[in-house]
Amino acid sequence: MSALIFANPAILFGLIALPVIWWLLRLTPPRPKTEVFPPLRILATVLKREETPSKSPWWLTLLRMLLAAAVILAIADPVMNPRANSLNAGGPLVLVVDNGWATATDWERRVQTARLLIDDAESADVPVSITFTANASHEAVPGTAAAARDKLKAANPRPLVPDRARTAQAIREAMNGTRPGTLAILSDGMAAASDNDAMSAFAALSPAEMRLVEGDGHSAVALTDAVNNAAAMTVTATRLSTASAQQMNVNALDAQGRALASGTLQFAAGSGTATAEIASPFELRNDFARLNIDGLATAGAAHLLDDGFKRRRIALLAGESGSDFQPLLQPLYYISRALLPYADVIQPNTADLAVAIPQILQGNPSAIILADVGRLPAETYAPLQRWIAQGGTLIRFAGPRLAAAPADDPLVPVILRQGERALGGAMSWSEPQSLADFPSFGPFAGMPRAADITVTRQVLAEPTPDLAERTWASLADGTPLVTEKEVDAGRIVLFHTSAEATWSNLPLSGNFVEMLRRLVQLARAGGAASSGSAAEGATATLAPYRLLTADGVLTTETGTARPIAIAANQVPVASFDHPPGLYGTEDGFTAVNLLAPKTVIARFDPTAAGRPIVREGLAGGEAVSLRPALFAAAFALLILDSIVVLFMNGAFSRVPGRRRTAGGVAAVIAALAFGLFALLPGQPQAQEMAPGAGAKPGDEQILERLDTTHLAYVVTGERDVDSISEQGLEGLSQFLTYRTTLEPGAPVGLDITKDELSFYPIIYWPISATAPMPSPAAISRIDAYMRNGGTVLFDTRDQYSSLDGGGTTPNGERLQAILANIDIPPLEPTPTDHVLTRSFYLLTNFPGRYTGSPLWVEARQEAKSTGAQLSSSGDGVTPLLITGNDFAGAWAVDSQGAAVLPTVPPDEMQREYAYRSGVNIMMYMLTGNYKADQVHVPALLERLGQ
Amino acid sequence: MASTIGQIVEQTPSSEVLSRAQARATLVPDCMVEAKRIANTVIAGWHGRRKRGIGENFWQFRPYAEGESLSRIDWRRSARDDHTYVRDREWEAAHTVWLWADMSPSMMYKSTLAIASKESRALVLMLALAEILARSGERIGCPGIMEPVSARNAAERLAASIMHAPLTTGLPDTAMIRGHSDIVLIGDFLDDADRVMERIAPLGRRGLRGHVVEIADPAEETFPYTGRTEFTDPETGEKLVSGRAEMIREDYQRAYFARRDALGESLRRLGWSFVFHRTDHLASEALVAVHGYLSGLPAPKPAGERS
Repeated sequence: MSALIFANPAILFGLIALPVIWWLLRLTPPRPKTEVFPPLRILATVLKREETPSKSPWWLTLLRMLLAAAVILAIADPVMNPRANSLNAGGPLVLVVDNGWATATDWERRVQTARLLIDDAESADVPVSITFTANASHEAVPGTAAAARDKLKAANPRPLVPDRARTAQAIREAMNGTRPGTLAILSDGMAAASDNDAMSAFAALSPAEMRLVEGDGHSAVALTDAVNNAAAMTVTATRLSTASAQQMNVNALDAQGRALASGTLQFAAGSGTATAEIASPFELRNDFARLNIDGLATAGAAHLLDDGFKRRRIALLAGESGSDFQPLLQPLYYISRALLPYADVIQPNTADLAVAIPQILQGNPSAIILADVGRLPAETYAPLQRWIAQGGTLIRFAGPRLAAAPADDPLVPVILRQGERALGGAMSWSEPQSLADFPSFGPFAGMPRAADITVTRQVLAEPTPDLAERTWASLADGTPLVTEKEVDAGRIVLFHTSAEATWSNLPLSGNFVEMLRRLVQLARAGGAASSGSAAEGATATLAPYRLLTADGVLTTETGTARPIAIAANQVPVASFDHPPGLYGTEDGFTAVNLLAPKTVIARFDPTAAGRPIVREGLAGGEAVSLRPALFAAAFALLILDSIVVLFMNGAFSRVPGRRRTAGGVAAVIAALAFGLFALLPGQPQAQEMAPGAGAKPGDEQILERLDTTHLAYVVTGERDVDSISEQGLEGLSQFLTYRTTLEPGAPVGLDITKDELSFYPIIYWPISATAPMPSPAAISRIDAYMRNGGTVLFDTRDQYSSLDGGGTTPNGERLQAILANIDIPPLEPTPTDHVLTRSFYLLTNFPGRYTGSPLWVEARQEAKSTGAQLSSSGDGVTPLLITGNDFAGAWAVDSQGAAVLPTVPPDEMQREYAYRSGVNIMMYMLTGNYKADQVHVPALLERLGQ
Repeated sequence: MASTIGQIVEQTPSSEVLSRAQARATLVPDCMVEAKRIANTVIAGWHGRRKRGIGENFWQFRPYAEGESLSRIDWRRSARDDHTYVRDREWEAAHTVWLWADMSPSMMYKSTLAIASKESRALVLMLALAEILARSGERIGCPGIMEPVSARNAAERLAASIMHAPLTTGLPDTAMIRGHSDIVLIGDFLDDADRVMERIAPLGRRGLRGHVVEIADPAEETFPYTGRTEFTDPETGEKLVSGRAEMIREDYQRAYFARRDALGESLRRLGWSFVFHRTDHLASEALVAVHGYLSGLPAPKPAGERS
């Protein structure tokens, strides 16, 4: 298949000119500027390598030769794998085109092949008969090529299996004895049931030549079956080409087309079928609407799922409603708890079964669970039985009422003995029974033996010959625990023990959940939906709702599809009248899939015709014209040559004022850029992040501030005030370190206009009237700091200076000015029971260098009523403290640890109390209402004591 | 060929000597006019030979040296003080000056940067010198072309001789030159300094005082070429292609100036003067310099300063 011909071979004579071109190219080098230059000998000593100026470099010549050769070859139009016209002109061309589901992926090529054949027929001047095997009707009378082309244009792949026999029959009738010249079958490669008839019918036409055109058949992979097991959904697929091992993904999509889960189809080499497990939670599997083979858009690769896979609706009925106060004793409690995760549970809103049952049946549940219902109202039996016969599942649990019910109940699977059997107990010799292994049939097959379940009471079945095979679970002594009976399409299941924990501990076990889950899964999702509309027995007729296209897409276009009659317990199969899709209504529909379960795709075998058959492949893919590639190569060489020449001529040198080459230079730069991009696709930009590039300057300082608590003061700008502040806070830090577990770091002076304030629990602000007034922005930062839970300790340091005048001191005025724009709470002098007075030391006043000034704190709003002292924010900590005692002055120590300033009056105890005030303030800052709670300890103890 | 920087002014096939001579002959009168013009400007500035020697004009007084003829003492001057002085007279003896200009094809070069071709400039210089020297009474000769003559119209006669001279390249036979003459060599001296000196050194050893004027085209010196350029030697027809001419500019200039420096140094050691002249400068510059040397001026820096 590697034949290479030229559409215009005459052009190839142009290659003869290549030597001439060679010679010409050698003679016309990239023309340098010629310059007469007398001091050539001096130049020669400088110019080391002597170029041969009269000739181009050999590689440039070679490049141009290649360019010329590429152009000549491109004009000659070489074609790989050409197609030959070999139609037999002895009679009409009979074209049988398979347009079944497997042709959807390569339909264009098939149309192209057919069109080429029609072209051949036109040139051979024979009529053409074209038929499509997956169409319902055939017009096979040979006509003109144009008519055939129109038919071809109108045809499209259909999501059906082609029926070649009908086509053959139609052709035979249409040909009416005319002997076709060439009979070409554009086959999808798959065998159909009627192939032998078709091929013998074709042979009977006795065409002069039979031709079979086949694709590679790689797309002929179809999903045939999907079975919902307990743990996973098993998908079966079949394929046509069995040559090599193949792995495919099967996606499960929901109704909106979103992929929910996927499994892997692993075709072994030589094997035509494979299964995939789509393991996903049951709840998720409820949402599966269709299965798709990944990457294959055919109707065969799509498998529609219907309500059979949907979430079940289950109605619960109990004999007694029980008491709401003791839910664990309610019969339905365990059942509903077990079912709720994966089923819709309906509970009637009335206890009257005569009303409840018709109401439930109207909702058409998948299953009805009757827990210890002995006798139903008489008029409800008939509708219930009808519902079961149409596919409903009735699950019953025993109980005292059922045990007392008469034996002729039609809604139990086995004949029950009157009364129940008690195992164990004071009056019994027998022991409570555990469960035997689950039998290998039935829905519980494969579950591990439930060793932890003991049954103390049960109802007993009368032994019947078929009792064993209807028993899905039994006790260790062989008495049945779960029995079932199939009634037409439906089923009755009976648990021989109660649904609550009085008769056995089964409802308490995890096995109970699993058993119920498997039973529910067994129930038809739609309940008796298929016959919900009419009571006409087992068959229902459903109108098309959504149809599958050949591409495997659901459409609302139903076209010529007819309503399908679906028998119960029978998987519907697609046909001409009933193309695959969903039939029914939005509320309930049945999926009709293309291929019946267990279908195996086989290779189309045309030997039944008994005539020699010419096989060939589809057109389009094989015949490859090399012209575009050659032209592209020539163009690339041209660009390369241009760049080389421009380089040689020094177009990239910096030549000021050489305007005539400016355009050329621009072109070259563009070409060069193009070339670079072509040569270096996606050269990675080396972007190395400097280590720690995210760090900003100052981060280290912030980290250091956050590591340890620091006391902070506001830098006023007056050196003496600031140094006293620093020394004071240093002294307090030392005191805190000695006396408490708090070990603050070095004091920090803050510029409140720009430093970050939020690292510090308290900020000491010595007010100085002579310092510059802080800006409104700085004050607003302080306001924000206080609102976010910080505390500012204002110290006016004017206790004694305010005495003389009696009025406000300058420092006090400054404080008023600062606080004027701050939203401060009402203040009060520290009450005697305030937490500040006892947060570490017991204090009555808070002296500093001076004594006598009260320490103002936020007034406690609710203090009087409740005793709790919660302020609006900040964990009950006052946002500001105001004193006039000059704390820092009392705290200040020098580097030797000696006090810097004397106290007024000079009393070392006062200094000690000043330190203690500082400790209490710090403790109050850091512990907040934790310490406040301690205030209540006496009250709490008092309450506990009584 | 407006694009090229340099060109051959008079393309003369080597076979057609006659036509070349005619061409040169047509060039000579122009050069003669030009030579007279610039010679006038020079003569207006300097007279005499500016050195002591046998003559009539007073040149200088100098102290009497032991052994000199007593008759040379200028008593009038010596009586003015205690020293004895000798009166020197300016040298006015007739002197033979050989002029030679290179007429090889490499001289027929003129770039767009230059005013005139190198050959034209060389001829102008030679004729102008002849004019000046003839006016000061020197004997003018041209090796291989004209025997030394002492005449007022020596320049015209030299021009006439050149018109009819056969084409020569390189330095002609100099056997007829006797010692103690001056020789002025005008050319481009593009050969190696060693090769040039090989030919000049014998002259120097024979006692000739020489003056070498190198005529260069500015293009040869500044090398203003860019891009892919094919260079052709007008003498040998040899070709060189430089892929990117601007890349070798500096190397070339280094080699070029090294050659000139080597040549100048060798000549200086020989006791000869070396004048460098570029054709984009005025011819009188070179003429002044050469005339200065001929007149015995101490050798300043070469007049044609390297620009």
